[in-house]
Amino acid sequence: MDGFEREIVALLPRLRRFGRVLARDPADADDLVQLAVERGLKRRGQFQPGTRLDSWMFGIMRNAWIDETRFRRRRSAILAPVEDAEHVGHAGDVEAAMAARDVHQAMAALPDDQRIAIGLVLIEGLSYKDAAEVLKLPMGTVASRIVRGRMALMSQLQEFAT
Amino acid sequence: MTRDERLVAYADGELSGVELAQFEAELAVDPGLAQAVERHQALAQRLSEAYAPVLDESVPIRLTSAVRQQPATRRGRPQWAAMAACLVVGVAAGIALTRYAGPQPGSITARDGSLVATGRLGTALTTQLASQTGPIKLGLTFRTAAGRYCRTFQSPADQLAGLACREPGGWTLQATARMAPEQPQAEYRTAGSDTPGAVLAAVDSLIAGDPLDAAAERAARDSGWK
Repeated sequence: MDGFEREIVALLPRLRRFGRVLARDPADADDLVQLAVERGLKRRGQFQPGTRLDSWMFGIMRNAWIDETRFRRRRSAILAPVEDAEHVGHAGDVEAAMAARDVHQAMAALPDDQRIAIGLVLIEGLSYKDAAEVLKLPMGTVASRIVRGRMALMSQLQEFAT
Repeated sequence: MTRDERLVAYADGELSGVELAQFEAELAVDPGLAQAVERHQALAQRLSEAYAPVLDESVPIRLTSAVRQQPATRRGRPQWAAMAACLVVGVAAGIALTRYAGPQPGSITARDGSLVATGRLGTALTTQLASQTGPIKLGLTFRTAAGRYCRTFQSPADQLAGLACREPGGWTLQATARMAPEQPQAEYRTAGSDTPGAVLAAVDSLIAGDPLDAAAERAARDSGWK
């Protein structure tokens, strides 16, 4: 493997995590990662050295997600909903697993654009600026998606808490 | 910015300069605002904890092998792109049909206006299977719409990677690209230097159906690529 490939391998855990933000089902998420890795390698010449490889791959994943969901809609295929998914992690204790499940449910209830912005910034730790580059949107748009997403999550999760 | 926007931007560490100073001044005198900031910070913490366990899971082999570009099994997707990329890892950007021939004389010969693989490259293309090792490495073998066989190859000694198709006069080069010398642990090479673009594009434009599997490759060789 060369340096580029090693970097991608090192990113795989984070790509898988972002995959879970996009597609709730773990197998769908990994399919998405695989598709993005294949596309990323195919287009590696378009990667600008000195820029963030993680952002670049997140962008490819997000586009792949959009393509896949469009494809599904066009085919009118039914994407099996994941009920009460407890797929994230081998969380040691039940309490943490339940807290995580509540978060996943709240995230799943968000509109795609808000969920993706939240995933990039709050889960992947990108700045608004980097997230805006991934999404090819003005920073203000990203900021307002974050605000709306945060507010919706806040009220959803408060319901769970009470 | 609205109050919520500033609040959230502050919680995300996105305020700076005057905006930050102003917000902190408000925070100092408004306990309700401080509580709201705390709630937003707690939310961020909760989200990050909920997704953190994914990082500790072992990564499925199909994903690491997708990077190593071994043929992986993904439902119903052609694998040739990944396989082809494998062959030409480290290949320098090239234009389709460069006239580059490496230091080994006699690998490529101009004949009737096209470039034909000769010498040990020609021999390898004719006799060697992808599974066999040698100075030349064979990659993908596939057929074109016209039924011609084509094969991708790498010749590290010649710093050459390419695609050749079987024609009556021999193996005609469809695309070549210069392979960069090994640069262990180096930073990324300049944009495009790793791109197997020329070879990939040539495969893409010529392949009909899927590449041959090992058994079909052997059968094609044994029947003289006819």
